[in-house]
Amino acid sequence: MKAREAIDLLARHRGDAVAVCALGMAANEWWAATKSEDAFYMHGAMGFAASFALGLALSLPQVPVWLINADGSLCMNLGCLLTEAAQGARNLKHFVIANGVYQTVGGLAMVNEGRTDYVAIARAAGFSRARTIAALDDLERQLPAIAAEDGPSFTVLQVEPESGFLRTPPMTYEGPEMKYRFGRALERRFGIEVFGPQGY
Amino acid sequence: MDVSAQIYAELTKCGVKVAASLPDDWVAPLIERIAADNRIRHVRVAREAEAVAICSGAFFGGVRAVALMGATGLLTCTGELATLNLRHQIPVFLIVSQRGSIDDHRIYQEVQGRRTIPLLQAYDFPYHVVDRPEDIASIPDAFETCRLQKRPFVLFLTRRLVKGEGAA
Repeated sequence: MKAREAIDLLARHRGDAVAVCALGMAANEWWAATKSEDAFYMHGAMGFAASFALGLALSLPQVPVWLINADGSLCMNLGCLLTEAAQGARNLKHFVIANGVYQTVGGLAMVNEGRTDYVAIARAAGFSRARTIAALDDLERQLPAIAAEDGPSFTVLQVEPESGFLRTPPMTYEGPEMKYRFGRALERRFGIEVFGPQGY
Repeated sequence: MDVSAQIYAELTKCGVKVAASLPDDWVAPLIERIAADNRIRHVRVAREAEAVAICSGAFFGGVRAVALMGATGLLTCTGELATLNLRHQIPVFLIVSQRGSIDDHRIYQEVQGRRTIPLLQAYDFPYHVVDRPEDIASIPDAFETCRLQKRPFVLFLTRRLVKGEGAA
């Protein structure tokens, strides 16, 4: 399956989940599929969307949080799996779009190309719910159960690498505006106070 | 009340509900104090930048958070502090040992002592040094300043504070 197809399917099954997207392909494709402001799109800190999502999930334990990660980002912060497993956040689902390449910079091969078993790493870190899905129809069949199960769970979506650059444009806002759009969206949805009475 | 208990009490006054940490030996007693009960959710991390991003995510959940680490750990996450917190103006409150001070005779902390504050100044990250027990009461003001300035804020703990006067 293609990354775009996998992300479109995730987006259709996300229900009430709040998404945190790794920078690059994951963020751009999630924006293209959802145009949602109640998602946080990383622009930097490669690898740390996972930790950001964990902090959000621990803070809003009644809210499903879906991490849309990518294999390049996961490899930047494999230790996140230890922390996620230890915290046991039942509302956190970790998805990894795995294409084996650094797609955003033109499809260059990743470290340890083709040999890494991310599910085995996650299981060894302590995830009891971990799987790889490589076919779109399998993903469609399994997603309702994945969405309904307790977290933390870890799902690798094995997608085909694409040649060259993906041309999906990024979201149309950035930096502080992303902070305020995301924070205000969560305030409206969940009745929480992200910003104080003077707006900071 | 010992220093760790005093700092812990100030953090609870600030409304801190999440603490993410990776210890060095100076901040270890405070981390263990936080871990001793469930008033603050404690998250042990494998790398300091995880703590930065966990606190950033918690911010959007409307939860006040703190990251604890050693000075060397702070140096490891300056990229994330710049590209996540500075870029998006997300406040993050860091409690960090002020290693490499003139009373810290550890050769492996020497560069941290010379270059950490100039590095913070280059990024325009505010900081505040807590050197004596009577300074601990400034923590709520420091925490509010962090939120108000919308960027990483480093609260340094000195050797004199955490080890006591004249400690070897």
